[in-house]
Amino acid sequence: MELQVSYVNEILIFVIFAVSLNLLLGNTGQVSVAHAAFGAVGGYALAYLFLHHGTQLWLGTLIGIIAAGLVGFIVGLPALRLTTEWLILLTLAAQTIIITLATTSSSFGGTYGLQNVSGFEIFGKKLQQPSDFLPLFIVFAAVVVLIVYRMAESPYGRVLRGIREDDVACRSLGKNIYTFKLTVFGVTAAMAGLAGTMLVEQNQLASPSLFGFDQSTAIVAMVILGGTGNIVGAILGATVLTLLTPFFENVLNFSADRASLWRLIAYGIVLVVVMLVRPQGLLPEGVSLWSLPRRMFGRRKRTTEAGLPSPDEVSRGALASTGDLGLEADAHALTELRHRGALPTTGAVEGKVGDVVLSVVNLNKRFGGITAADDLTMQLRRGTITALVGPNGAGKTTVFNLLTGAIRPDAGEITLNGRDITGLHPNQVTRLGMARSFQDVRTFPRLTAADNVMLAVQDQPGEHISNLFLRPRRTRAGERETRDTALQWLSFVGMERFADYPAGALAFGQQKLVALARILATNAEVVLLDEPASGIDQQWVDVMLGLIEELRTQRRTVCIVEHNLHVVGRLADHTYFMELGRITAQGTFEELTGERRLAEAYFGTA
Amino acid sequence: MFHDLTVDNFLQLTIAGVVNGSAYALVGAGFGLILGVTGRFHFAFTFTYTIAAYIAAEVGVSWGMPFWAAVIFGALVAMVFGVVFERLIYRPLAAQAGPYALLVIFVASLGLAIIGRNVIGLIWINSASQQISGFSNLGYNYGPVTVTKLNFITVITSWVLIVALTAILSYTGLGRVVRAVRANPEMSLVVGVDPRTVYLAVFGVGSLLGGVAAVFDATQTAAVPDMGFNPLFYAFVVAFLAGLGSSPLVMGLVGLGLGLVESWAALFMSNQWTSLVVFGILFVYVALRPLQASSFARRLRLAPA
Repeated sequence: MELQVSYVNEILIFVIFAVSLNLLLGNTGQVSVAHAAFGAVGGYALAYLFLHHGTQLWLGTLIGIIAAGLVGFIVGLPALRLTTEWLILLTLAAQTIIITLATTSSSFGGTYGLQNVSGFEIFGKKLQQPSDFLPLFIVFAAVVVLIVYRMAESPYGRVLRGIREDDVACRSLGKNIYTFKLTVFGVTAAMAGLAGTMLVEQNQLASPSLFGFDQSTAIVAMVILGGTGNIVGAILGATVLTLLTPFFENVLNFSADRASLWRLIAYGIVLVVVMLVRPQGLLPEGVSLWSLPRRMFGRRKRTTEAGLPSPDEVSRGALASTGDLGLEADAHALTELRHRGALPTTGAVEGKVGDVVLSVVNLNKRFGGITAADDLTMQLRRGTITALVGPNGAGKTTVFNLLTGAIRPDAGEITLNGRDITGLHPNQVTRLGMARSFQDVRTFPRLTAADNVMLAVQDQPGEHISNLFLRPRRTRAGERETRDTALQWLSFVGMERFADYPAGALAFGQQKLVALARILATNAEVVLLDEPASGIDQQWVDVMLGLIEELRTQRRTVCIVEHNLHVVGRLADHTYFMELGRITAQGTFEELTGERRLAEAYFGTA
Repeated sequence: MFHDLTVDNFLQLTIAGVVNGSAYALVGAGFGLILGVTGRFHFAFTFTYTIAAYIAAEVGVSWGMPFWAAVIFGALVAMVFGVVFERLIYRPLAAQAGPYALLVIFVASLGLAIIGRNVIGLIWINSASQQISGFSNLGYNYGPVTVTKLNFITVITSWVLIVALTAILSYTGLGRVVRAVRANPEMSLVVGVDPRTVYLAVFGVGSLLGGVAAVFDATQTAAVPDMGFNPLFYAFVVAFLAGLGSSPLVMGLVGLGLGLVESWAALFMSNQWTSLVVFGILFVYVALRPLQASSFARRLRLAPA
């Protein structure tokens, strides 16, 4: 009986490891192969304090959790700006450094580790058998699962998914992605630390092999098998893979040596086969356990009730399915737009039309020998549309990058409504009221259109961890409001019918509209649109231009970068002409096209 | 603070650094070629490395193959595995995963590495470490320092192979093809070069070089199932410090430097800590990377573009 209980304990421990890594890897998209090492920090802390200072279970566990969280925080710090391959390397280095430290340092017992870690007591009861630990482990695992669930399935989790899909876009929507990433690194490492203390209690020892690279890989395998981004999947993965050892030892009667080798081989096979056959794992994101049999054995065609492709279908090959919805959907959205009467009033802006909202003075930026911005001076006025035109490579997009803080200028000043915003981060600029779009749309492909837009709503109570746990009512109310706002904006651009479509399944033109709704939902007064009409069919161009004119009516301040001169001619109240990082001419569109030099060089002599 | 700082000690450590560094150089050049050209996060390099050593030991003992024949045979087996992994696993994964290819290939490769390591453990379950026979290692004394025959062989073979690879890449038509694919796989397809074939060749050559280093490594001590992990790690450090597109010679020099730094670190700390130095270097380098972008790597890049 005790043997079976010890398997249950083991499962509970790895459930904690797996769901916490899943929050980091599956939801936030941050790959870590150091999860077992964070467990080691917790486990060794508990063992060391117990053996040398007689520290009891509660305090030892708490210290272990905190220590692991701190180490996770420290590892997370340099990880903030890293791309996937560097993050893998960084965590690989962290895993090795932590375990090598434990192995070589004599106070931690070297290769054999700290032994005889037994004799804990809680409430005056000695904990010796696995069954003595069982209730405690159940509570620990349940608490961790609940916390992870709350963090993942909430506005907070939506931001994490946004970071996973596209951190630049997420930042441009006003989210301080570094705080989110760092918090998740720390929290998940702390959870691993808790699992580490439990692993030490279970084995009555803290040794390097308990927390080695193999173990980190095993945890990754659990998450991958279960399905990244799905908490039930992680629990499933942890259970299945943990049960492999008893399966090999008891069912196949392998010796302990052989069983441990086979177990690892099985982990490896899981990783390879899952990647080849079912990269989204047993339970893909957004799929519940109960629907699994139907999905696996039912009809092959997988669609939601409305006949739309499900999110995991899109995640399989986000790019391949782009545009699958085809023309019929396009036509539908168009008719809907043409027949709609009222437009939302939420976006209307106070203030006088024609006032300078954004002022740029002598902005300079050099990249090595290339001057990207040369003494740029320009103004954007309320309720007007300003166009930035010029040949390719003139630095138009760079201007957007400079204005929104994606690139820091070398010199010059940017003021937004009288406030100096030079050198602020993109998320701060957005929160102060200036948002941008991207040439390549950058919607979050695996999130629904509604989620895409909801991410842009500012000041959601549910984006603070404390509110998630302390003010659930406020969080829920805030979430309803957010969804309402998002749907309003989606209907403004005529896309409400596609609210629950994954953005990646939409046609390019539709994605552009969703992206527009997304910027508007930030409630930014100044809207910078990078080639809003490029790469889409003529019918969509009309829709898009109509919407942009509508923004002007709402007294928003709009700036567009555009190559299509018909678009500029129709929209622009004022036009700046850029060449090689300089503004060489400005005026109305007619004035510019009237200038002979520009007409010959750029507009074409017609 | 200084452990045993004597001139003799320093010289001996320097020699050890050059020998180890040459091995890192060879592994780094091989792995760096794979990573630089294909961009695959080929973690299972640990396996192709280890299997070369085990096969060399096996053919040396069971078949009585002479040392050099065993080296070549072991390295060839590594090459076959490298090519098979690329053809049967990585290529289909890359085609299927699209934008997520990097992560998907890394995960699968991690899986291959674990499978390989433990299958080796199963096959040689009764004798975890395998000696390479048929090589009598002689020591030569030069004043206060000792250099073994194996040391000479390691250094000379490593650099001959690295220089040969650099020359092939720089001066032959074949090398031009490889560089073209490294620069832009899609465009090379347009001009009639199939990048997939080049990838196979690169996996073969890279694994082969790693295999040679592995057999020397095992001759020094013994083949053990986990022997591939540290070399892979060093190779990562070498490839990333040198810059992914750099020539094998540059990677080799970085590897040599790494070996020396690691060896000299023993002057300041006890031996068991020195391996931490390399991981520490990597950690700090990666951590500081966002700050200085890759200007450091760019400055080191002496290679032809």
